Amino acid sequence: MSGVEIFLAVVKIAIVLLFIINMAAIATWADRRQSAMVQDRVGPNRAVVYLPNWLARVLVVTPAILLAVLAMFTFARPVGARAALERVTLALELAILVGWFSVMLLCAHVRKNGPINAAEERLVDVNPRSVFYVGIALHVAAFGVTRILPPAVLTPGAQAAGFLLCLVLAAAGFYAASRVSEGKVALRLAGMLHAAADAVKLFMKEDFVPKNGDKLLHALAPLIALFPALVTFAVIPFGDTICFAEGGAKGFDWSDLGRLVPAVTRDLQCPGHAVSLQIADLNVGILYLFAMAGTGVIGAAIAGWASDNKFSLLGGLRAASQMVSYEVAMGLSLVGVFLIYGSVRLQPMVEWQGTYAWGIFVQPLAFFLFLAALAAEGKRVPFDQPEGESEIVAGYFVEYSGMKFGMFFTGEYIELITSSALLVTLFLGGYHLPFLHRDGLTLAIGDTTFYQFKMTHLAVTLISVVVFFAKTILVTWFQIFFRWTLPRFRYDQLMKLGWTKLLPLSIANLMITGVVVLGVESASPAVASALKIVGDVTQAVVALAILAGGVALVAGLLEPVSRQRFLRSTTARFAAAAGGTKATPQQA
Amino acid sequence: MASSTDKPNKSWVKPAGKPISGTPVKRPPRGLEVQAYIPELVKGLGVTMKHFFKNTKELMLGEKPDPVLEGLEEGITTISYPEEKRPYPERFRGMHRLTIRDDGSPRCVACLCCSTACPAQCIHIEAAEYPEGDRRRGYERYPDVFVIDELRCIFCGYCVEACPCDAIRMDTGKHAVPYDSREQFIYEKDLLMQFTGRDGSRETANPRHEPGDPTHPGLTREHPH
Repeated sequence: MSGVEIFLAVVKIAIVLLFIINMAAIATWADRRQSAMVQDRVGPNRAVVYLPNWLARVLVVTPAILLAVLAMFTFARPVGARAALERVTLALELAILVGWFSVMLLCAHVRKNGPINAAEERLVDVNPRSVFYVGIALHVAAFGVTRILPPAVLTPGAQAAGFLLCLVLAAAGFYAASRVSEGKVALRLAGMLHAAADAVKLFMKEDFVPKNGDKLLHALAPLIALFPALVTFAVIPFGDTICFAEGGAKGFDWSDLGRLVPAVTRDLQCPGHAVSLQIADLNVGILYLFAMAGTGVIGAAIAGWASDNKFSLLGGLRAASQMVSYEVAMGLSLVGVFLIYGSVRLQPMVEWQGTYAWGIFVQPLAFFLFLAALAAEGKRVPFDQPEGESEIVAGYFVEYSGMKFGMFFTGEYIELITSSALLVTLFLGGYHLPFLHRDGLTLAIGDTTFYQFKMTHLAVTLISVVVFFAKTILVTWFQIFFRWTLPRFRYDQLMKLGWTKLLPLSIANLMITGVVVLGVESASPAVASALKIVGDVTQAVVALAILAGGVALVAGLLEPVSRQRFLRSTTARFAAAAGGTKATPQQA
Repeated sequence: MASSTDKPNKSWVKPAGKPISGTPVKRPPRGLEVQAYIPELVKGLGVTMKHFFKNTKELMLGEKPDPVLEGLEEGITTISYPEEKRPYPERFRGMHRLTIRDDGSPRCVACLCCSTACPAQCIHIEAAEYPEGDRRRGYERYPDVFVIDELRCIFCGYCVEACPCDAIRMDTGKHAVPYDSREQFIYEKDLLMQFTGRDGSRETANPRHEPGDPTHPGLTREHPH
């Protein structure tokens, strides 16, 4: 292993660790935020840092300036024809995005706080919705214009577009900084500071150890619980393989890092050095994942035993029996998936999904079985009997306080993120986006190609990494929703579900899948091509669903709110006369 | 099975053998679509997501319903105290204030009615005569010292009722303020005269007719009986 390979491994580990640890903190925040929003509350948002005015202005303007400088230096370099087309498109679209978004924000701000100059007075009557629609129209127009540009103007065009992006960013930053209100600025970050304050509090709290508890095991249990949650991410691929060309010297050395292949074919013939974006490409793949997930139970069981508390012990027992039971269904529900993908390594699984169809379409039953088993493995609602608050206080971590409790807590959220990443990898296409292949965007159903857009290797790889993390965040968000929707099962229901429903269903799924796979393999090529078309249709369905979801989200955001006032009480009538809830104590 | 109801198969029998009177509680349907769990899960997710998106959007855009005026609407009804405050009722008895005349002097004539009426004995007044030559001398006195111990005050409003001159009012709309020492609760005359009513004025709407004014209805030195 050369030095550069070790360096790349360290970089990959850093990326994954940064992602999961930050995401664990953000998920803690999102969890509370979601609970508040679901239950019609404001939620915890009282933690506040008052920034001096100049600092707030600096904080507003610095990212914009940094991005502007980055844009200028990135786009100033002359490049080849295909990269230039990509760059001119990217810079123009980004400039338009920053432009309409800033104008929309400014519109909302002016409506709320009043205009300060003649230009802003014109914005008072502008509807923020129309700004959005104009922005979308500009996006489409810019995309069309860049398609018909002659190749000769592409390189200067890319530079001009980059300069435009730089200007727009800088202008938006400076104007926003000038509109920061006078006086101290309260920084709340939508309640995110509250989560940070809680973490600080956990470090400060007393570390209580029960008098008759086992001191060593009591200290060891949180570590054992946290460890498997952290290491399971090692085999999950978080992006497509990167290909570096071979330099002059033999072997993978530092100079090769600069020789990124400009473009690759769809099957990735990499003559130089292929770097897979996966910390460890183990040949046992998912079996390692099962093994690590299985160790998670030890932490909970030891914590329950070492705490010298009957509730802890009950919680630990529950956790142990539950996780052992669901381990079986979890493993068996995935065997059908392995049969179809023909591998237990995660990278080929994602590639199969990219070529044919996402796992959720080929194994829908397995998806739900695996989702249930995963929730039970992670001790999450509706399978959170090990920590059932209404029954056994907090289960196996009753006797934990301070950062030891924090470690259980963080471990649970990290497990949530890891399980989301696993769901994404196995069933939701991993880092793959519909119709986006290694050589670029290809809209095709079967053998008919409707549209093709060649892209550089760098762009596709970057998109794949972003897509994987975005999907993981989305699935995490979705999984947290279960917590605010579902009530807890009773313990006997849980066991009955695991052994008499999930297990037989997963075995049946496995048998049927085996028969179908055998049938398809021995069928005529016509069946194979028909299946390919069906697979492409599912990809199209996913693409359309993503687009429709995005449009529905924005349309919902832009929909105006209308309300009726019911003035039933004297207080309400008096408040209405006074103009509603008041901001100043004198008026209230 | 001994039963008096029309549907013998539905009647439940107590251990003593007597049928239970009344209609049985209607059980929710538990068909296959409920037992399968996933359709119900999707339904439940729909409910929570509806709330989530609606509330997130309204909080983001600063359009959340006014908790007082639109409290019956769906949406967030939390009041973010102290940035937002629920208005007190119109006749809420807040901290005291001493109303002033047009020339800025207190309306109080130091008659001691309020301190006499005060059940908590929290008002202390030291009356003083106007100096020789002042046109009010002989008609009324003024409070040299006017102190309210807001810690003793029980906010009963008797002082306001007792005042013949509308000189003390409790219409500031302010509730008792937390301080960290007892001395800070002793409100002196100057401070009490600083406070304004809810309308922002330090005066009162009731007119005062000074002796010597043409509107003065009573007997004066210039107009003896």
